[in-house]
Amino acid sequence: MKKIIISTFAISALLFTTSCEDDFDTDVKDIPVTAGEANFSKYVSLGNSLTSGYRDNALYIDGQNESYPSMIAQQMKLAGGGEFKQPLMADNLGGIPSAGIPNKKILAVVAGSLAPVDAPGTGTTTLANIYSAGPYQNMGVPGAKVAHLLAPGYGNPAGLPATANPYFVRFASSSSTSVVADALAQNPTFLSLWIGNNDVLGYATSGGDGSNPITPVDGSVGVGFNSTYTALVNTLFPNGTTRKGIVANIPNVTSIPFFTRVPYNPIPPERFNTAPTGSPSNQNANIDALNTQVFGPLKQILTALGQGSRIQLLSKTQGNLVLLKDESLTNLSAQITTALVSAGVPVQQAGLMGQLYGQARHSTDQDLIPLTTSSVLGTTPSSPLAIAPFDKYGTTYPLEDKHVLRGKFNGVNGEVEEVLTATAAFNATIKSVADSKNLAFVDMNAKMIELNSKSGIVWNGVRYTATFVTGGTFSLDGVHLTGRGYAVVANEFIKAINAKYKSTLPQVDPNKYSGVKFP
Amino acid sequence: MKKILVSTALLAGVLSYAGGFRVSLQGVKQLAMAHTSAHAEDASVAFFNPAGMSFIPSKLSIVAGAFGASNKVTFQNLNTLQSTQTDNPMGTPLYAAITYKPIEKLSVGFSFTTPFGSTIEWPNDWEGKEMVQKLELKSFYFQPMVSYKFNDWLAFGASYIYARGQVDWDKAITQFGGQINIKDKKATGHGFGFGFYFRPDPKLDVSIAYRSPVDMKAKHGTATFEFPSASIYPLLGLDAAKRTDGFTATLPLVEEYTIGLTYKITPKWLVSADFNYHGWERYSQLTLDFATAPIGNQADPTVSVSPKNFRNSKTFRLGTQYAFTNMIYGRLGAYYDESPYSDDHFIPETPSFNTYVVTGGVGFKLKQFGVDVAGGYAMPQSRNVNNANLGFYGQAKATAFYLGLGLSYNPF
Repeated sequence: MKKIIISTFAISALLFTTSCEDDFDTDVKDIPVTAGEANFSKYVSLGNSLTSGYRDNALYIDGQNESYPSMIAQQMKLAGGGEFKQPLMADNLGGIPSAGIPNKKILAVVAGSLAPVDAPGTGTTTLANIYSAGPYQNMGVPGAKVAHLLAPGYGNPAGLPATANPYFVRFASSSSTSVVADALAQNPTFLSLWIGNNDVLGYATSGGDGSNPITPVDGSVGVGFNSTYTALVNTLFPNGTTRKGIVANIPNVTSIPFFTRVPYNPIPPERFNTAPTGSPSNQNANIDALNTQVFGPLKQILTALGQGSRIQLLSKTQGNLVLLKDESLTNLSAQITTALVSAGVPVQQAGLMGQLYGQARHSTDQDLIPLTTSSVLGTTPSSPLAIAPFDKYGTTYPLEDKHVLRGKFNGVNGEVEEVLTATAAFNATIKSVADSKNLAFVDMNAKMIELNSKSGIVWNGVRYTATFVTGGTFSLDGVHLTGRGYAVVANEFIKAINAKYKSTLPQVDPNKYSGVKFP
Repeated sequence: MKKILVSTALLAGVLSYAGGFRVSLQGVKQLAMAHTSAHAEDASVAFFNPAGMSFIPSKLSIVAGAFGASNKVTFQNLNTLQSTQTDNPMGTPLYAAITYKPIEKLSVGFSFTTPFGSTIEWPNDWEGKEMVQKLELKSFYFQPMVSYKFNDWLAFGASYIYARGQVDWDKAITQFGGQINIKDKKATGHGFGFGFYFRPDPKLDVSIAYRSPVDMKAKHGTATFEFPSASIYPLLGLDAAKRTDGFTATLPLVEEYTIGLTYKITPKWLVSADFNYHGWERYSQLTLDFATAPIGNQADPTVSVSPKNFRNSKTFRLGTQYAFTNMIYGRLGAYYDESPYSDDHFIPETPSFNTYVVTGGVGFKLKQFGVDVAGGYAMPQSRNVNNANLGFYGQAKATAFYLGLGLSYNPF
């Protein structure tokens, strides 16, 4: 017995000593950061506002310092990366008064609740050229489309505002150069390219009103997306080059707060209360009046014309739909006017209603209301037709095209579908060009969709979502990111670079960067 | 011999998984022998098994002891190459017990212990600050008990547990650059324990004991929010002037089943073995129910639920004591303690590892007085951290050691 117990002890002791792995296999301090098959000695980033570090509706120093290329460059330095200079603005306001560019947005307490407003003060940034302190490795130019990167004279002050860009005017090497030419002149060993967003985003943010059309998929270089993007990548990565790089695709606009913040039914019943403060609410009486005098008869007429779904009666309990003008609808002005007159409505009023509501409809959950529209809802439009009670934007006066990105209605595709179709086509091109040049590729569209999901992205216990302000990743313009959002982007780039080139760049910690600032 | 080898090998096979915030420091003598339980030498047996009181050789026994417990946890993030080490203060678990036999068959006793607790302090600005910056959990068990000795070889004992607890938890609210402190100094709970103690042969002691779970209820907690700017309070539905909110929560202190054996190989030499089974499965989630702040994640926005997903765990203990003289005793032991959660549920507020511990100590007996010292060196097994729910990935390791000093007095 004694012997057995001794041997049991001995065996147990042996087991303890052999199975003990209480230390890490490799301590992170001993993990080398390597470039793998890439060479990070001269990294240049190309792109638009998202690359420049633009946020809160402006480009300003603190935002630039938290741009995703700057974060990537910091990590590249650990693996032989060189200096990464950015064409810093003159201040943290971001406004360029001489170019009519406003200051950044800041959060302020307006009428008891938080709202983004323009930062007060006068921006000190000018269009004076700062190339002599360059060249700059962050060549993100806010507002640039694919074709702009190739365009000579994009930095020519004489070309403003039509053919030049004030941001590139600041750091172009000459008035005749292009963004690509200045990038290649630096002989970069590694390039990142995230471009194309503005080829569709400009159309979307302008509500698809035609002032900023979607770049066509087909067409010659400088016109069509496919050929222009291909030419751009071919120029940056000519055949036989040893230069390495990474390209990113374009997020769907439906995943950004600019289009998701304002619901399709944003008008609360209380908005119809016109009684002075302190007196009993007349909200329901007003809603009843509008329903019996305007929307009820209108719906009746439209129903008779087989178009009853255009108009819904106002609700006293739920958020109300916005009234908008949909150019894709048949104009029923004359029919409406005639019907109203025969129902006894005075000729003048019937004419006005016919004019206003000939192509009007209420929003559906397919429509996207831009963030900027919330500031016009309920205001009085400057139109001779805006006569009470038809003088409230979005409720009795239809919103114009620029205020809504129309979705599918009655089975007919709207602007939202146009945008998504174009994005899908552009992304297909981006992916195939990246593959053909054997470049690293990062699916930012998928990442933004993940961010826009309810569960979002969790990093060390912090949950990031695309929710406006409180989600932590989107800045006050609803399109561009915060430092934390850009860190999420930087990590996606880093992961893709490491996967493609067998490098071991460490990721950044998004929690360490800045989010939305509260007043 | 072969059989025993096989069973040892089987035992080793089971040891691939493993404490939570259970603290196995309730007796200095016991710790020196791997914290095994079947020792009815003095009142320190009371916590382990109330029935053991009946086999204490003296009519009155008083014990008290204290420990110094030091531990350090390191987390490293392989994605960002950050490494963080905790700055934990020394823990000082305490115990005291008294037992008395008014008549031969009946023993009464009282035990005071700190069986659950944890103090973890990460650097304030570490990468996991949203989960925890500092967490202090304390519990105090007050156990009156009674034991009845049926005959020479069997006793049954039972105890009532009155528990007091404290929680003090700081964590960051990163999105708003702020912090929340969750505090309750007056949490209470109730439980019970019972056990059988057998001595079928003068050489053999067998202890079978059960200690019930205790739901530590924090009913009047205070959550204090600190934000850099006043405009954030209303955004979170908080009163900017007050900055605090009430909360209620329940922290389960889990049940424990123990089987212990002590065999006297010679009059001078004994060996002990224990098996514990801990019901950690009860800690499946932590629910914080705030009074008014809508900062939760449930349909009722004032309720916040964090999954914990602990699972039941086991501990295997083996210890021995040798009496060099009637006055000097040497003790050794080793035990294996299983972590109550898997890698994908690793949480930094109560980091836990499968842990091998070697223990040892010496005891001195001077007539009715005893002085014992013990030490334990823990070898927590480094592990992967893979908590997708928290987006918390990396590796964790720890070091820990314990020192204890105990006194016993068996006057008659």
